[in-house]
Amino acid sequence: MDNSGKEKEASALIAEAEKKLKSSQSFFGALFGGSSKMEEACDMYARAANMYKMAKNWCAAGNAFSQAARLHLQMQSKHDAATNFIDAGNAFKKADPQEAINCLNRAIEIYTDMGRFTIAAKHHISIAEIYETELVDIDTAIAHYEQAADYYKGEESTSSANKCLLKVAVYAAQLEQYQKAIEIYEQVGTNAMDSTLLKYSAKDYFFKAALCHFCVDMLNAKLALQKYEEMFPAFSDSRECKLLKKLLDACEEQNVDVYTDAVKEYDTISRLDQWLTTMLLRIKKTIEEDESDLR
Amino acid sequence: MAYPRTHNPFADDEEEEQCRSSGGFDDPQERGMSEAESKQRCLQQEVMRTAKSAVDSSHRSLGLIYESEKIGAETAEELMRQGEALKRSERMVDNMGQDLKTSQKHINSIKSVWGGLVTYFTAKPETTKPLPEEPVAYQASSKLQNAMSHSQEHEGKYQASHPNLRKLDIGGFGAFASDDSSSSQNGYPANRQLRAAHQTLDNNLDEMSLGLGRLKNLGLGLQSEIENQDTSLDNLLGKVDKLDLKINNTNHQIKNLK
Repeated sequence: MDNSGKEKEASALIAEAEKKLKSSQSFFGALFGGSSKMEEACDMYARAANMYKMAKNWCAAGNAFSQAARLHLQMQSKHDAATNFIDAGNAFKKADPQEAINCLNRAIEIYTDMGRFTIAAKHHISIAEIYETELVDIDTAIAHYEQAADYYKGEESTSSANKCLLKVAVYAAQLEQYQKAIEIYEQVGTNAMDSTLLKYSAKDYFFKAALCHFCVDMLNAKLALQKYEEMFPAFSDSRECKLLKKLLDACEEQNVDVYTDAVKEYDTISRLDQWLTTMLLRIKKTIEEDESDLR
Repeated sequence: MAYPRTHNPFADDEEEEQCRSSGGFDDPQERGMSEAESKQRCLQQEVMRTAKSAVDSSHRSLGLIYESEKIGAETAEELMRQGEALKRSERMVDNMGQDLKTSQKHINSIKSVWGGLVTYFTAKPETTKPLPEEPVAYQASSKLQNAMSHSQEHEGKYQASHPNLRKLDIGGFGAFASDDSSSSQNGYPANRQLRAAHQTLDNNLDEMSLGLGRLKNLGLGLQSEIENQDTSLDNLLGKVDKLDLKINNTNHQIKNLK
């Protein structure tokens, strides 16, 4: 196909670019305008990288972009360097996740240096996603999401910050860091309560916060439920609140069947997703343990 | 009174056949029962079946309503994020405009000595930073308050009419059921089950009406938010176009300077 031809072209371009670089660093090159040679070399690297992309040779494309980025850094054009690092990161995403993360990290350094926190936050999210899916390292993913949320908060984009914080909360609860999850859900819930559009999701956040309380201790859950009802009256009408009350009763009576029935009834109308099912199962286990203790 | 009438003609043929066939099957057992009573049992079963399917379908509708509400809420969050991004872009475009103005001044001073003197003497424009320099937190439209209070009034009226209907329903069936109990023992449980089915159905209908009210408000809110964002998009488009022209101009000038 055309692609192998592109690859040859690309490798030819890279060889030419390297030659240009060498010549620009020699004595005469520096005399006769070494910087324009560097710029041309940069362009060539970028073009070569695009051709590698067309040929789907992601590693080579990533390498070419990184080279271009380093040249830009030498020429003190930070913006271009950062953009090229991002391109390199995207190319590596498909081949070598670790390398992609390296490139993205360097780009983030440059952006935070320039004070462009929004873009830096966006790329923190990309890195966190790579950790989530390819490298399955949830702790680092959480750290990156938190960093992104902090940057967004600094730039007053509360909705984007909340989006990141919610992801942190989901993973924290899965890792049994309930305190963190509870704080986040309560904070986001109280924010959402006041906004005209967001209040429809507020009850969801309070529900999740109450479930996390439940995993820690039943009494906490009861107090929390009362607190949320006072803060947000509409919460008491929601089916989630009714489910929570039934679960609390089942827990007090140590009755696993009532618990399962209530959960099943809720499930017939609104399907429970993976996270909710995990949390509910954990709570059920605590009830069963208490039962066996009493016996 | 509502339920037996909501059969479609095709279903009528089916139930008659079923009644006859079930009558044939049970004949040896129920020789004691008169034909009218077995027919009645048949119709009762039919009623129970329809009631159950009505309850099931109301469950499904309720589930769908909640799902739509969830999707609507997620859309609302995305919209808020988008609105914030739009405001940010507008701020940046304003900043770019300011920077271009300063660069234009520099170019003027480079182009000619006279130009440089002119710029030196023109009152230094207090570099008017665009007002929201401390980024303002994004506020969604608040037209909703009126819509909400309106819909709550209407909901109240709807609720008032609904309990009346409910009494009619059960009252109607209560009369029907009492005839049954006088003739055969089997009438009682059917009556209670039927009443329970009606109760669940009514509860579900109540919840559905509440859910639909919420959905309506959500929709109205989304609509006003989208309208606002539409106008800001148009503004942004105009600003970016002007900026584009200015940048082209500046590029030209710089090229000519060489």
